[in-house]
Amino acid sequence: MTQPDEQTTVRVDVDVNGRHHELAVPTSTVLSDLLRDELGLQGVRTSCERAVCGACTVLVDGTPTASCSTFAFDVDGAAVRTVEGLATEGALSPEQQAFAECGGFQCGFCTSGMLVLTKALLDEDPDPSRETIRAWISSNTCRCTGYEMILESVERAAQLRAEQGMGARR
Amino acid sequence: MTADPRRLAPREGHMPERDRPRADARAKVTGQATYTTDVRRAGMLHAKVLRSPHAHARIVSVDASRARALPGVHAVLTRDEAAGLAPVGTFVKDWPVIAGDRVRYLGDTVAAVAAVDERTALAALDLVEVEYEPLPAVTDVGAALAEGAVEVFPEPPLGIVPHYGQGASGALRPLPNVPYEFRFTMGDESAWDECDHVFTDEFRFSRMNHMHLEPFVTVAEATDEAIEVWSAAQSPFPLRRDLATVFGLPENRVRVNVPYLGGGFGAKHGIRAESVAVRLSQLAGGRPVRYCMTTEEVFLTSSQHAAVLRYRTGVKADGTFVARSAEVLLDGGAYSDLSPLVAEKAGYRAAGAYRWRYLDSVARAVTTNTVPASAFRGFGGTQATWAGERQVDLIAERLGMRPYELRLRNMKDLGELYAPGETPIDSDLKEGLRIVAEAIGYADRDRSGNRGMGVAVGIKDGGGVNKPAQARVKVTTRGDVLLQCALTEMGQGGHSAMAALVAEVLGCPRERVRYAPIDTDHSPFDQGTNASSGIAVMGSAVTQAALRARDAVLQFAADQLGGVDPAGLTLEDWTVVDAAGERHPLVPWIMHTFGGTGFEFTGEGFFKATNSDLAPLEAPCIFWEVGWAAAEVEVDPDTGKVTLLQLVVSGDAGRVISELGARGQDEGAAVFGLGQALFEEMRFEDGCLLNGEALLYRVPLAEDIPERFTSITQEQGHAAGPFGAKGLAEGTMLPVAPAIAQAIADAVGAQLTELPMTPARVWAALRAREASEAAGAPAAG
Ligand code: FES
Ligand code: FES
Repeated sequence: MTQPDEQTTVRVDVDVNGRHHELAVPTSTVLSDLLRDELGLQGVRTSCERAVCGACTVLVDGTPTASCSTFAFDVDGAAVRTVEGLATEGALSPEQQAFAECGGFQCGFCTSGMLVLTKALLDEDPDPSRETIRAWISSNTCRCTGYEMILESVERAAQLRAEQGMGARR
Repeated sequence: MTADPRRLAPREGHMPERDRPRADARAKVTGQATYTTDVRRAGMLHAKVLRSPHAHARIVSVDASRARALPGVHAVLTRDEAAGLAPVGTFVKDWPVIAGDRVRYLGDTVAAVAAVDERTALAALDLVEVEYEPLPAVTDVGAALAEGAVEVFPEPPLGIVPHYGQGASGALRPLPNVPYEFRFTMGDESAWDECDHVFTDEFRFSRMNHMHLEPFVTVAEATDEAIEVWSAAQSPFPLRRDLATVFGLPENRVRVNVPYLGGGFGAKHGIRAESVAVRLSQLAGGRPVRYCMTTEEVFLTSSQHAAVLRYRTGVKADGTFVARSAEVLLDGGAYSDLSPLVAEKAGYRAAGAYRWRYLDSVARAVTTNTVPASAFRGFGGTQATWAGERQVDLIAERLGMRPYELRLRNMKDLGELYAPGETPIDSDLKEGLRIVAEAIGYADRDRSGNRGMGVAVGIKDGGGVNKPAQARVKVTTRGDVLLQCALTEMGQGGHSAMAALVAEVLGCPRERVRYAPIDTDHSPFDQGTNASSGIAVMGSAVTQAALRARDAVLQFAADQLGGVDPAGLTLEDWTVVDAAGERHPLVPWIMHTFGGTGFEFTGEGFFKATNSDLAPLEAPCIFWEVGWAAAEVEVDPDTGKVTLLQLVVSGDAGRVISELGARGQDEGAAVFGLGQALFEEMRFEDGCLLNGEALLYRVPLAEDIPERFTSITQEQGHAAGPFGAKGLAEGTMLPVAPAIAQAIADAVGAQLTELPMTPARVWAALRAREASEAAGAPAAG
């Protein structure tokens, strides 16, 4: 019988929040576990672990991705961005500032995912309509806020980015 | 003497902190906030649970020997290792740590394993052999109450009935499969004789899952002598008591630590993942054990109460309400848990916002072979409001009156008693209804194109039953403040609000106040974070603690100033201002008096409503939590699909402590109501949950929120909480489904009595309406 802890590992070279990592990762490891347990990025939250709720969303080469349902080996050669990579030198990013200011969070469990989703949206469309925001935010679940204050947070983030001269960065 | 926290006015007329971001904003937007899911202990093992595949069965045998032999497995828990552990529950103690002679629902806990990782634990569970002998199951309240139905508990479990006051009573096991019954009566039964019409209607209420994003999760370190847990628990002290009871330990050998919670909504009150993890840790020689449920397991652990509500209501020809008798059957699932308390509230709240000459209600918690039901935002009030508000609409239609006017005619006035011995209604209910009606444009609504509007109100006694709370405020030499209390932060913004209260009293910025980690060894006692009680109950204790700390500081300053009257001194950011306006920094005085390490000024606070036999439920409620809603819908008569065009909700904060916090609670609660109204439902077939996972269980998404969704936080100013505040968080959930139902009737004439109002149900109600119109009489569908 195979021992359950005997696992095949593969090499994964990945850039996470601007830092390069060369890792030997079991083939069964999912990205959320790699980020949380190996790299200590516990701001990545997991909930459904079925690619439904979006709590675990991270950006893989800029694309919002359910890290709970992505194998770690799939990010070999990619750049991953988590909520921990949003603030620069302690200064909140426009998305973070907007969610804080507009009350776009309550329990905070969906917030990491919502924030990187917002960043991806504004990178693609710096001045999105309400409808565009609604469509994007509908890919993630928030059980606490009732969404209106999240939608307002995204609008405020767009405004803050415009004020800071951040256009589309793709 | 320290001032009464409940009669304070803020310095600037309103709380200076009220329009600021929450205190936990930075921790949560940077991802730094710590939840129980993030807790790691050295040598930590991981637990997984084997669950029953049967709704009801006798366990013939459990053989876990192969699981025990699997490398990496450190402990296996079966009924053999659970012998002697006490079952738990509120009033009725029937929920064991692990199934004994029988399993009572599909998902019941049969065995558990702690191993080096979750994969190994799961592999071990595959090796546990269980032989079942299936039993007939009762999977809804109708089946459970049927003549000759199988009894889920053939032997009556241990139970108690609390001491009720005027008009209220409880009974254990009045019927088979009914562990608890609550009855409430007020007024004069002869009132029935004055009724010109008596209407009897039946309403059905669906069961939701809380769907908090953070699952039930715990890390336990336990021996036979002591237990420590880190847990996603709403109510640390009740959890401590329960764990002490289950494991037969003194309460001072059980320590509960509670980090941030990723949502709760009622679900995280009571033992969830804890007892399994604790027992496994004991069996593993005290190694820490983490048990984090999957979403699928969360679905199999707790839910809202489905209900059948029969309301018999007598009115005068002019629409005056006279008498009501309500019979409520709540599906409590397989174990009682909090069902007796929910029955109490569902029965007690049957009067709704209206005046009655006689009211008689009986609410029964019914045991079925389904997922146990527990506390859920609204707590019996949502069920009562659905039936009560819906019946007002049906009566209005039968009397040829308008739903809005019929409500106003019968609605209680500000200051009127809900029941003899109760706290007077502390919101102007009519004013709130007018506000939401006006905001949505109800009076001039355009009903063309199958559109319509509805307005509704829900009220509930707020602040919990007879709930004590304690708090401690410590101020260091340099004026840094530590607030200790056990109000958990599950998203509601409670920690931020408590810090704001302290800052206001001490005259310092909120940033100087740190909310200490919650730990039952050090945090002052509290009965739990529930019943929208945070601001009014714990807030009162916290404010009193801050006032006492402040008074100690001012007394110290008065002594330093040669014995002046401390009443003439004020505290401003750790500087004392004397009667002449001269400013005295405190630090030099403190250093001079206490020496090198300085000192800490401490204030203790306590709050509890006074017990009264006149009050029906042990003590008068702390405040009335009210939610008003107005909805506009468009109905497709061919498909029954309802499109929500507008939703306006409003709650009364008394006085606002935090604008973002108040708004967030009202909107979040309203969207729970929206989900319940239109689509959210745990669907069972023969006791098997069909949609118990995130993909199949539909919760509201941003795209479900109507184009116009507005919340209006009223500050009516009648509340008795600190600085005039009272609780929010549940109120606006209550009226949303009734408002939408009324809007559907307004649009197309279909009267819905069952939730959720799916296209199929709306379509069927429309056909029923057409059939009855053809036959010449309106009917409920
Ligand atoms: S946890 Fe990954 S989508 Fe829900
Ligand atoms: S803030 Fe709690 S789930 Fe969104």
